[in-house]
Amino acid sequence: MATKLVKTLRKQFIGLISLGLMSTSAFAQVSSYKLDNGMQVVVKQDHRAPVVVHQVWYKVGSNFEHSGKTGISHMLEHMMFKGTKELKPGEFSKKVAQMGAKENAFTSSDYTAYYQILGKQHLGEVMKLEADRMRNIVLTDEEFLKERDVVTEERRWRVEDNPNSKLYEKFKAAAFINSPNHHPVIGWMSDIRSWTAQDARDWYKQWYAPNNAILVVVGDVEPDKVYQMAKQYYGKNSPENIEPPKPQIEVKQEGERRLTMKGATKLPSLLIGFHAPTLVTAKDEAERQEVFALSVMSDILSGDDSSRFSKNLIRGSEVIASASASFDPTDRITTLFTLSATPNQDKTPQQAEQALWSEIKKLQDEKISQQELDRVLAQAEAQYVYHQDSIQSQAIIMGSLLSVGLPADTLDNWVDNMRKVTPEMIQKVAQKYFSIDQQTVATLLPNGEQARNNGAAIPGKGVH
Amino acid sequence: MAKLAKLQFSAPAWLASFMVVALMLFSSISQASVKIESWMTEQGAKVMYVHSPQLPMLDIEVTFDAGSIRDGDDFGLASFTASLVGTATKTQSEDQIADGFNKIGAQFGGSASRDNASFSLRTLTRDGVMQAAFEQYLDALTQAQFKPEIIERERERLLLGIKQKSVKPQQILNDQLWANLYPNHPYAHPTIGTEATVAKLDQAKLEQFYQSHYLANNAVIAIVGNIDKKQAEKMAQQLSSSLPTGEKPAALAKPKALAKAQSISKEFPSSQTYYSLTQLGIERGNKDYVPLFVGNHLFGGSGFGSYLMEEVREKRGLVYSVYSYFAPMKQNGPFIIGLSTKNASAKEAEQVVQQTLKDFLNDFSEERLQAIKDNLIGGWPLRMDSNSKILGYISMIGFYGMPLDYLEWFPEQIKKVTKQDILDAWNRQIQPDKMLTIMVGQPE
Repeated sequence: MATKLVKTLRKQFIGLISLGLMSTSAFAQVSSYKLDNGMQVVVKQDHRAPVVVHQVWYKVGSNFEHSGKTGISHMLEHMMFKGTKELKPGEFSKKVAQMGAKENAFTSSDYTAYYQILGKQHLGEVMKLEADRMRNIVLTDEEFLKERDVVTEERRWRVEDNPNSKLYEKFKAAAFINSPNHHPVIGWMSDIRSWTAQDARDWYKQWYAPNNAILVVVGDVEPDKVYQMAKQYYGKNSPENIEPPKPQIEVKQEGERRLTMKGATKLPSLLIGFHAPTLVTAKDEAERQEVFALSVMSDILSGDDSSRFSKNLIRGSEVIASASASFDPTDRITTLFTLSATPNQDKTPQQAEQALWSEIKKLQDEKISQQELDRVLAQAEAQYVYHQDSIQSQAIIMGSLLSVGLPADTLDNWVDNMRKVTPEMIQKVAQKYFSIDQQTVATLLPNGEQARNNGAAIPGKGVH
Repeated sequence: MAKLAKLQFSAPAWLASFMVVALMLFSSISQASVKIESWMTEQGAKVMYVHSPQLPMLDIEVTFDAGSIRDGDDFGLASFTASLVGTATKTQSEDQIADGFNKIGAQFGGSASRDNASFSLRTLTRDGVMQAAFEQYLDALTQAQFKPEIIERERERLLLGIKQKSVKPQQILNDQLWANLYPNHPYAHPTIGTEATVAKLDQAKLEQFYQSHYLANNAVIAIVGNIDKKQAEKMAQQLSSSLPTGEKPAALAKPKALAKAQSISKEFPSSQTYYSLTQLGIERGNKDYVPLFVGNHLFGGSGFGSYLMEEVREKRGLVYSVYSYFAPMKQNGPFIIGLSTKNASAKEAEQVVQQTLKDFLNDFSEERLQAIKDNLIGGWPLRMDSNSKILGYISMIGFYGMPLDYLEWFPEQIKKVTKQDILDAWNRQIQPDKMLTIMVGQPE
């Protein structure tokens, strides 16, 4: 699977986080363990159904990759289904399917994760399989080359024929010069075409080890029993010498950056990004508070249909057809606070840009109201309860936090942290992080091409 | 890897919602813990209720027989109506309605498909919050107004969306699929309408559609959450008595199968060709559904366990995703095989799909069938492990009039179904020489 799933899951996650996940809750009961080989184990009980989600997270993703080999983490994810010393290609999935499980995997900039959702009685069996492929995959040239073709199709489908995805890729490449965030998760096409099986083998050897992995289990289980099982299966794997990635701190931006792209679209669209800190990059408590302020601000701008973009731009002005703000406060390295918009019919990207900027100016000039703040907090609390309806989303949130080095209780304290955000703080971060000199602006323009309608329905001779 | 992603991600949104329904179908039983209760309100609304006390939250979904099959010549009317419900009521403005939900963390949503229109509420059950959320929902749904200025604004946005479809190859394909598989049938036109028809929708038409379709006796009310039956009865009754009653929509005509194979090709400047092989499938409640469904899991519906994935992706590396499914609807929904591949491989992929289908109709592995049955039966509990999944099931069961024990009955049938049952049902249903082929892209 891959990037899109990643995006989707991440979006869900961001939603939860930024709408506010947590609050002190009687529900969250997380048990944490560490195996002798360094593998982290976290277990959360949820006894609503006799079901369990089992996930293994590796702390490696596209932000760990090197130029010329971008996307190799995602490619390795594909190869993890192609057999081990014990299993033939595809056999992992067959065995898991026979247990009645749903399985998949996803790759992101900061992590690669594998999961199965299944009846709790099969937890041990699936652990055995997952522990096996942590250290023992067999990566043949033949399987690799076929799967490389699959990934090129995946990239065509996700990016090449999707102007908005392509714009986003170029936008990130412009916004980040030396940071690995410059590169897309799926990799550049030219890199994909030149990967070798050895690249994937090396990457596997370097990062797939118990001391670079986190086991997350949520469901109808007893934590101590899960721990015992984990010891039995994952405990056998030997650790690796893991060398953390180099810092690659993004250079300071000194003036605005702009790019345009022409693509097969009828509608222009616009992205504006500003570098922003995260809970991981924050140097001190004051900067951590700024991150929470930015997160609340993102909800004030576009969290729901009472937000400012909905109210003022989509419903209020004639200029914007759709707009949103996004910010991931839990990225491992410096991230972007991004605004996006599609102008209305007969309106230009320039007008859309002005409209977005008018909302930024308002945040810089005036304090937000207590009412707006209260609404965002109410949503956060409710969202925390709603997310517990899915064991999968509970597990994903824990895994993604732990993968970037944030504590498991980051979520439990989220709403409390949001409560500390004041209207003054929001105004201050708006002034500090948003300026013309700090912005990267990417614009998608129609290239005028479109489907030709000459291929009307032709009665065929039959499909053979 | 890629795995299941195929289902969720290769399919466009409308597909996805079918899949949910199709998969759903299947899902439930497992535990005696899901107890569905159903009753009719005085005004004739059907209520479906499951008590789920573990989380302090409530989900409600009201579904009307008010999908795009009820558009008449005003394509897009049902969908536009649904999207405007919640933008104004007799006593509240758009901002007030939005704030009413949002300030207490409640979520409201509404949309229309071909068969129906549905409206959901999710709220905490905490004192003060639930009642406020429910009252807001009741007002938004049952007292809707259609304000000219909002109609105009939303029409502009809708037209932009329709325009943008013409540069999305998968959407071009979808529109072609429905138009050509269902000539002269209410399933043929796009649910959101066309530029020409949406331009003509006005306040009078919207009001008329709302008043004549959003009826108590045309509604299914599904409720899942931490409220007892008494509370559920009260809420259902309040919803029901706030809606008018009237004449239910007429039965939907049965679509006619294509008399011969048909091929459609649209040139589009994309690096991949989008391909579908399709024909009429079955209606909800069809007696062949179990063997068709189980067979489809093996043929193309279960990702890496299926023949299509093995032949097209695993053996040849031609695609990221390839899938097939039956979408049972009020009347025969489509059977669809779909994929996208680089233009240079389009013809090869087509041949592989055709051959795989032909082979499957002829014979398949007994052993693999057993594996698929194990997967379906073993995975049963997963299909009922959250309130939102349960809500989806009971809405579907209520709307399509499936029996209340459907979810226990279904896995029993899966256990019983034989290879011969599947071969017979597939050969009755699928005529490879009368299928519709669609390609969008620049196949070489």
